[in-house]
Amino acid sequence: MADEIVIKKFKVLNEYGIHARPAALLVKAAGKYSCDIFIEKDGNKVSCKSIMGLMTIEGYPGSTMQVTTSGADAHAAMAEIEELFVNKFYED
Amino acid sequence: MAITLQELLEEGAERLSLSVIAGEEHLNKKLPEIAMNRPGLALTGFFQYFANQRLQIFGLAEFTYLKSLPSPEKYQRLKELFEQQIPGIVITRNRKIPSEIIELAETFKVPVMRTPMVTMNFVNECTVLLEKLAAPRERIQGTTMEIMGIGVLLRGDPGIGKSETALSLIERGYSLVSDDVTEIRRTSRGRIVCWANEVTRYHMEIRGLGIIHVPSLFGVSSIRRQTELDVVIDLKQPSGNEDRTGVYPEFVELMGISIPCLTLPVRSGRDMANIVEVAALNQKLKELGHDAAKELDDRVIDRLTKGRGRHG
Repeated sequence: MADEIVIKKFKVLNEYGIHARPAALLVKAAGKYSCDIFIEKDGNKVSCKSIMGLMTIEGYPGSTMQVTTSGADAHAAMAEIEELFVNKFYED
Repeated sequence: MAITLQELLEEGAERLSLSVIAGEEHLNKKLPEIAMNRPGLALTGFFQYFANQRLQIFGLAEFTYLKSLPSPEKYQRLKELFEQQIPGIVITRNRKIPSEIIELAETFKVPVMRTPMVTMNFVNECTVLLEKLAAPRERIQGTTMEIMGIGVLLRGDPGIGKSETALSLIERGYSLVSDDVTEIRRTSRGRIVCWANEVTRYHMEIRGLGIIHVPSLFGVSSIRRQTELDVVIDLKQPSGNEDRTGVYPEFVELMGISIPCLTLPVRSGRDMANIVEVAALNQKLKELGHDAAKELDDRVIDRLTKGRGRHG
């Protein structure tokens, strides 16, 4: 199985940053894929499948997060995560 | 729900100790308005506003007033009262019933009942009973437990493990209200009360075991006659779409009343009883005004938006 690694950077565009609702959306999206998904910011790295992890990473509005997906469905997972960031987590 | 005096008489046999003095054959008439009225003012001849649709209660005040009237006038006043088509009369304190009332009751086909109770106590008891009898009721699918004073209704497809979860909760010391079929009624205070069908009450069906009698196995503390419903828990096969934060609570409508509702995914090896127990505790905490999920979210938002200056 070819393990693919995808790395992308996103800006947090919604008004309040990564609070409970966006965190829940990210976890729900990530939960659909078997690959590992991590979010990294200022040297802190948390699993994108953990609500508590995402709420502690301090995703301020306007800050930049690095997302890493690795595994068989890495591309598909990244596409779905990207959609959430780009669409401001469907807030505002 | 409309009720008859016959139902009141049967249901209140112990608590109201009513006996029928006259008009027994008219007990099956419906009570148009489920309430009571003291007809004192009407007896003085004032009928501009008279709650004639209600059960009329003759207490000490009415009797003392009637006594003060000369006989022909007394008859006349009572006749005017009966002409208002009252549904029934209750006489308290076991007073001797004036012959005029019995005579008029037969003529106007109005049941007359008597109780040894003091008026105030009778009115209090009867109000509670009337409300209970008149409350809208339904029968729904689900197992009801009481967990530390919190009424929990467990719902879910057959075989998902409602009864098994209830059994584990009983072993933890909580009480069973009803298994699989729950009777509910809406109180005037806007709460839902759950209880069990009288025939199957306190019995459970456990797959592989058959039917068990809960208080025989676990003692009387394992059962409860009824409980007020605080939270509905739906047990479901995992869909991957479950709520992960609890910040945006969901509700279900039962008899027009909104009740908090949680959906718990059932996976093998997951201790459902433990999770239901925590769900009940969390609900209790929310009712005390402490919503953990919302408070954490507010704190995170507060930190994030204050950090905007430094980062954004």
